[in-house]
Amino acid sequence: MSATLLALSSPMLSHYLMTGAILFALGLIGFVSRRNLIVKFLCTEMMFQGVVVTLGAFSAFHGNFTGQTFVIFVLTVAAAEAALALGLVVLMFRRKQTLDAEAWSVLRG
Amino acid sequence: MSVQLVLYIATVVGAAALYLLMPKPGKDLRVLGGLLAAGTLGLLWLLLLPLTLRGTGGEAGLLNTGFEDGETLFYYVFSAIGLCAAVRVITHTRPVYSALWFVMVVIASAGLLLTLSAEFMAFAMLIIYGGAILVTYMFVIMLATPPRSEQDPDEGPIYDRFGQEPLWASAAGFLLLAVLLGVMFQPMTPNASAAADDDAAVIRDVLANRSDTGGDAALATPTGRDTPAGAELSNVEQVGLDLFRGHPLAIELAGVILLLALIGAVVIAKTQIFADRDGEAAEPDGQADTVESADTGVSA
Repeated sequence: MSATLLALSSPMLSHYLMTGAILFALGLIGFVSRRNLIVKFLCTEMMFQGVVVTLGAFSAFHGNFTGQTFVIFVLTVAAAEAALALGLVVLMFRRKQTLDAEAWSVLRG
Repeated sequence: MSVQLVLYIATVVGAAALYLLMPKPGKDLRVLGGLLAAGTLGLLWLLLLPLTLRGTGGEAGLLNTGFEDGETLFYYVFSAIGLCAAVRVITHTRPVYSALWFVMVVIASAGLLLTLSAEFMAFAMLIIYGGAILVTYMFVIMLATPPRSEQDPDEGPIYDRFGQEPLWASAAGFLLLAVLLGVMFQPMTPNASAAADDDAAVIRDVLANRSDTGGDAALATPTGRDTPAGAELSNVEQVGLDLFRGHPLAIELAGVILLLALIGAVVIAKTQIFADRDGEAAEPDGQADTVESADTGVSA
């Protein structure tokens, strides 16, 4: 009985894919709905987390290490994005003294 | 009840839960939202029971998380921690606490990578995300926090306390999630003969040339833990071999990206000095903007 339940609840590829998809969707919701620029970029990092979980799951369950290799490139892009985006956020904060994304809703040269 | 129907019910409940959890004016229904979110997660895990997927009924109602087996438990623990922390990241009204909850997300996903026997990636995630990137975020949050108002110092600015269109955001996000999971859980009946042809072609043409498996890919187990080609190598060695044998161009491109980011960060930092000096001299309205843009043009 307990062995059956154990087999039923043991995580498969779909479990990890589901976790990754939910993390990605939550990051997307946060990016759309939050108004603070810093938290917006934090949410993009959370979308990266979902992708990392998905890549790791595919890597493990397919017996192929390319997925884990791609995590390195995800980390590279995340680091570059954090450096540039946060520099821009500080610059924009110095201009208008606010982190509200609404403050930058009007484009002009 | 079909799998797809349960999935759609779960995503609708999840969207409602997240909407209740979002910071917004009006009555505080966050407890109800938390309960609904937990119910959504439980429903999705129930959905993943193989017995339910096959639709044979039976003991499908019993959700046992396998406390006898350590490894089985770890997936559920790390996944639950990660998803709860993710919800807190997007619902907390203080950016500092959002960043701290994001550290929890990173730790949980590193734990998930550990259960997937990707040790190197787990620790690299912890060091790079939890160490480097999050410290950068904390510094920026410290540098760019507007002064608190005198009457209520505990409350943050208005753009932190209330989200922007939380209803439509959670509806759109969970629509995306429903589509993703619907494709993922799609009941598929494999065409045996076509699959045999495909598998033969893949093994012959693709897997034989792949860097890490050395032609033994057809023998790889679904869990990837007993791959014959790499049984004696550690995880770090496997990843390193795959990285440097299979993706030399990508390494170079990653180096170029990092160099460009470095140069870009330096340029942005230099611009910041000009903007700061002019911003101090003039009001942050139209006058200052024109001066700053002129100065930026000079520096560029």
